[in-house]
Amino acid sequence: MKNGPKMSLVVALVGAVLALLVPLVFGGSQYNMVLVTTVLLYAVLATAWNIIGGMAGQMDLAAWAYLGLGAFTSGTLLLRWNITPWIGMLLGGLVAMAFGLMVGFPLFRFGVTDVWYALSSSALVEVLRVVFLMWEDVGGPVERYLPFHNWSWYHMRFGSYIPYYYIMLALLGVALFANYRLKRTRLGYYLRALGENEEAAEILGVNARACKMKALMLYAFLVGMAGAVYACLYGFIHPSFFSGFNSLEVAILGIVGGMGITYGPLLAAVILVSGKEFLRSTLGGQLEAIYLVIYAVVLIVMALFKPEGIATLLEEPYRRLRSYFAGGEDVQPDTRSV
Amino acid sequence: MQSIIQSLINGSMMGAVYALIALGLSIVFGVMNVVNFAHGDFVMLSMYGTFWMATYLGLDAVATPLITFFLLFAVGLVTYYVLIDRTLRQVYVTQIAVTVGLQILLRALAQVVWKAQPRALTHSIIQGNVQIGAYTIVFSRLVSAGVSIIAILAVYLFLMKTWPGRAIRAASDDLDVASLVGVDYKRTYALTFGLGSALTAIAGGLLMTFQQVDPTMGVRFGLLSWCVLALAGMGSIPGLLVSGVIVGAAEGAAMSAWDPRARSLVVYMIFVLVLWLKPRGLFGRK
Repeated sequence: MKNGPKMSLVVALVGAVLALLVPLVFGGSQYNMVLVTTVLLYAVLATAWNIIGGMAGQMDLAAWAYLGLGAFTSGTLLLRWNITPWIGMLLGGLVAMAFGLMVGFPLFRFGVTDVWYALSSSALVEVLRVVFLMWEDVGGPVERYLPFHNWSWYHMRFGSYIPYYYIMLALLGVALFANYRLKRTRLGYYLRALGENEEAAEILGVNARACKMKALMLYAFLVGMAGAVYACLYGFIHPSFFSGFNSLEVAILGIVGGMGITYGPLLAAVILVSGKEFLRSTLGGQLEAIYLVIYAVVLIVMALFKPEGIATLLEEPYRRLRSYFAGGEDVQPDTRSV
Repeated sequence: MQSIIQSLINGSMMGAVYALIALGLSIVFGVMNVVNFAHGDFVMLSMYGTFWMATYLGLDAVATPLITFFLLFAVGLVTYYVLIDRTLRQVYVTQIAVTVGLQILLRALAQVVWKAQPRALTHSIIQGNVQIGAYTIVFSRLVSAGVSIIAILAVYLFLMKTWPGRAIRAASDDLDVASLVGVDYKRTYALTFGLGSALTAIAGGLLMTFQQVDPTMGVRFGLLSWCVLALAGMGSIPGLLVSGVIVGAAEGAAMSAWDPRARSLVVYMIFVLVLWLKPRGLFGRK
């Protein structure tokens, strides 16, 4: 057991070094860099989702609502007042968090749970999309392009996608760290108790409303920050950012990866999103949307036959690895390391 | 003012069709406690089914449900046995993941088969208008509303008076006790799910008389029917009709009095507000 945290630290460090080296492999092609950055974006979103969905058990389907709010906040600040996206990122996260507070308060106050929570959050994405479509001062039907700069850290605009990759990677690090730390705090235990059985947790004295609220705000903040980067990455803001479909995808990645497992959503995003993009680029020319058919079938099969998450497939090899390094003695599965 | 009343009339007639779509969702959710995120995509599928029947068999859109009803029933049965049945004993997130996956699948299949552009039928036997005072009643919408109400009544009678209907209601009340008195849960659930999706075929045929179809419209119908269901509450079929009409009328009023783009906004706002303020709906039994 004493080996536990060290071992997971080693795995995390190896993963981080590999991730840092990715641009060396794909850096030659800007197209590939966009794809790996997109994979990272989904990894950030799904990892953040893990807090509200995986741990607290609230089936949130509004990821891109928070992403869009972050993108519009930071984009508008840059366009109107030339405020750097680095501040915009923070403010975008705060706006998303405030929105989370605004919708979460009545939802949790009136005890909207399970499917109704999922559906109402899904509806909120659409509400925001229409609101921003009609709100001509900020949104409107025409894309608003961010100013072009070939290499400006102040504007977070680069002629290459490699810096965005590293920014997104840093966000992923933050999201993973938030997950990892949260699991070891009182709030984290409360959230997982809620996720298991809300009524039982409440009887044992967990303040369900406050805990869910905190989880939702943390999740919204992380996604809002990613939204600000997303706007700079693609260089425009548009109400289509509020996409119900993409939000569903985020939740699916979280579920398929393994609810509440820190690296589960990351694993699902790496496998599924890169697989999807690979299929899109290889099959897309022949028959549009066939890649989505394959993607959907894979999702369904994974959800049906590995309901506890594909991350659990790694538990056994991981345990063996640890026992190997622990000098051959059999190490019990350490729940803290997942 | 006149245009608002006109759109209220149009919207209310549309609402009867919404109620029919929501009825399918309602019996599946109410009886099996299955959250089907792909319900709206069944509507999309039925509309394409109608499009094919009308194009290749030369049938009129209103007559196509005679065939598509059984097609969608079969689709429902297959979906139940292949996917839904396996999720019943698992946590509900698996169910959400599977039905959301199905939603993505149906939408992608529609894009592959029918391409991304909208499809519509040029004519139907129920064309033309009826003029009542200053208001125009579009005949196809009137017939759609009428047929929807008749279909809803038929389902009501089926659930109340026939043996399979009674089995469905028994399974909804208490599955264990129903099993004890000889209700085969698997068959009953399959029948329920088949019926739930077959009802969208009737709605799909009616909608095609005055609407076009594209692969992404499933999401809209899905959320719309959840909205109607939330407003009505569980277990009340007449309540479903009233809620459908309220939602349809609100949609129509928003389009003419405010902004055509506000159409979905109003629906979703009703949905969110009902969930917050009246989680059991207006006519909820449970």
